[in-house]
Amino acid sequence: MLKQSLLSLALATGLSTAAHAESVNILMEGVPDTEYVKTLLPEFTKETGIEVNLEVVNYAEMHTKLVPQLLASKGSYSAIVVDFYWVGEFTKAGWLAPLDDMIKADNFDTSVYVPKMMDLVGQVDGVTYMLPFYNYAMGLLYRTDLLEDEANKAAYLEATGMELAPPKTWGEYLEQVKFFTKDGMHGVVNQGLRPDPIAMEWSNYLFANGGEFHDADWNATLNTPAGVAALEQYKTNVNEYGPLGSASFSFDEAFNVMAQGQAYSYITYNFFRTAIDDPSQSTVAGKVEIMPVPGQEPGVGASLNGAWGWAIPKSSPNPEAAWTFLKWVESKKIAKERAMQGGSPTRIDVFDDADLNAKFDYMGAMKDMLLTSHNFPVFTYTPQLVEVLGRELSLAVADEATPADALAAVEAEMNELAKKDGKQK
Amino acid sequence: MNQSKTMEAADRRFGWFMSAPSLALLLAVILFPVFWALFTSVHDYTLIAPNFDTFTGAENYISAIQDPAFRHSLGLTAFFVAAVVLFEFLLGFIVALMLNSVERFKPIYYGILLCPLLMNPVIVGLIWRMFLHPSLGIVNYLLTVVGFEPVNWLGSTQMAIWTIIMVDIWHQVSFMIVLLLAGLSAMPKEPYEAARVDGARVYQSFFYITLPLMMPVIIVTLLIRMIFAVKTYDLIYIMTRGGPGVATDLVSYSIYRTAFVSLNVGEASAMSAILLGFILLLTVYLYRYMRSLT
Repeated sequence: MLKQSLLSLALATGLSTAAHAESVNILMEGVPDTEYVKTLLPEFTKETGIEVNLEVVNYAEMHTKLVPQLLASKGSYSAIVVDFYWVGEFTKAGWLAPLDDMIKADNFDTSVYVPKMMDLVGQVDGVTYMLPFYNYAMGLLYRTDLLEDEANKAAYLEATGMELAPPKTWGEYLEQVKFFTKDGMHGVVNQGLRPDPIAMEWSNYLFANGGEFHDADWNATLNTPAGVAALEQYKTNVNEYGPLGSASFSFDEAFNVMAQGQAYSYITYNFFRTAIDDPSQSTVAGKVEIMPVPGQEPGVGASLNGAWGWAIPKSSPNPEAAWTFLKWVESKKIAKERAMQGGSPTRIDVFDDADLNAKFDYMGAMKDMLLTSHNFPVFTYTPQLVEVLGRELSLAVADEATPADALAAVEAEMNELAKKDGKQK
Repeated sequence: MNQSKTMEAADRRFGWFMSAPSLALLLAVILFPVFWALFTSVHDYTLIAPNFDTFTGAENYISAIQDPAFRHSLGLTAFFVAAVVLFEFLLGFIVALMLNSVERFKPIYYGILLCPLLMNPVIVGLIWRMFLHPSLGIVNYLLTVVGFEPVNWLGSTQMAIWTIIMVDIWHQVSFMIVLLLAGLSAMPKEPYEAARVDGARVYQSFFYITLPLMMPVIIVTLLIRMIFAVKTYDLIYIMTRGGPGVATDLVSYSIYRTAFVSLNVGEASAMSAILLGFILLLTVYLYRYMRSLT
């Protein structure tokens, strides 16, 4: 009897190992979108027999964990997720495997992605290295209850001669920031901590003034009227219309000010739109909406784009299984299921899905944000540019450099980096 | 005579034998990385192209020294170290003297004092960042309750470095207290008794007995604390990232950025070597001074 049960046990274990022989290991960041993927994994294992092991760590650890694995000839990660910051570095170092052959062999359609997504975390110089995973474009969070308040409407009309409504242009938005700074309320809350919070937030100001980081030949175009105006406005917002100390706020602290109802507006990552409706962390649930950062003209968006992509490293121990996973997780069905849980889409067909739009009425605004967004310069030295930009912007906000001098310093270093990277001839 | 010599040799051999494992370990984890870093500092070694193909000589050192941001970090770090060590020493010595004369509940005071020291600097940074939030933090709330204006703790260039100094003192002062207290309790009682018989006042015993006898302990404590303070990185990373502007850009954080953001490990190693040079000079000077006392 004992022998028999031992034998059946052995057989059962043997069989189950045989059935689940293959496994895919992926390093991911501990964010909501990773959680949504996690809930769907049993479905993948059932369909393909491949086990998926997610190693979830926080952002600060990811780069340090990835690099040694990518340098090795056989690493332990089958697939990885890549922040747009690292795209230049990873492709320049030759760590990512091109996906074009697999895409072609399986007829995987990449035209369904928002083109800006493919530019940011899809293709580099015509080669597809990644499939866009989720986007974190920045948008303008604003208080709808304050805009609808009759007393505010009348006062705003009297003060500016304009109707109080979601701002159609950047100029109108700045007027509203000024108007709402009264009675202990702040017109805006900024994330002035260096390097990435301030660098990312200010990029929206640059685009809103019609500026860009560089021209077609990668010559930096920051010390320009648009750049200087953007930095003057940023400085004024932090120092005059924002709460005390926002020059050192990271996004969580700035979000808390917004969530505690102390500010009219906050330019931030799209995932905070879901968070602001959570009553456990917000006193203004249901009173905040998101829209693309307005530009110089109505309909022109000035949002900064941001995204993560799925990739297969050259050091992947099992690229075929990794590709099986990638095409499953990025299929319309699974991409939609992730979005239905609150995930942030990258595919146009998911953005346009009727069920999704019925569930989240701000999905249209999210799509607009992405379609009209601008990309941050992606090259080998993106992290270094963010560092330099963060330092100089922070100096200008602290009144230790004039906006023009600060931007001239960024320009000089950016040109040098672009030359070093071979982008600028 | 001969026998004692062989015994001495045997003792020495045994001594080497016993310390060999730890020496080997120290060699592997301290000496090797130091030499590796020195080797890296004279090469063009980046994380994009991690190889020793290009020998650059002193180039990394020159570009580090010519970099105004690095020089600013060095100066700021010197100021920070001087400030924290001085304040922690004064505060620590006063508390240690007070505790030394306490008879009852000593372990309880010890326990309370050691609490901050047991905490990870990252946690300390996070907690204080929350406490010091200008509009939602408890510190400014309490200040406004008693009628003060809220303070811009981390967002003002004048204030931020002092805020970091204050948090560091809160975190590290107990280290000073514990070490100085250990020194005080090991002091001989006789000189004090003799002084009392001779009619010495309290401050006279302090300046003519306590201070001179404590000097070696004080020097060692200051030295250890200085070296630790030079390495301050966690608080900056969590609380300010070197900002606002460059107001809190301490040298360790600046080196970290050169290595892991700019990916320029060669220049970061050169910066570390320069820092190591300063620390060595300081150590040698203080060690010599201590030797001259004894």
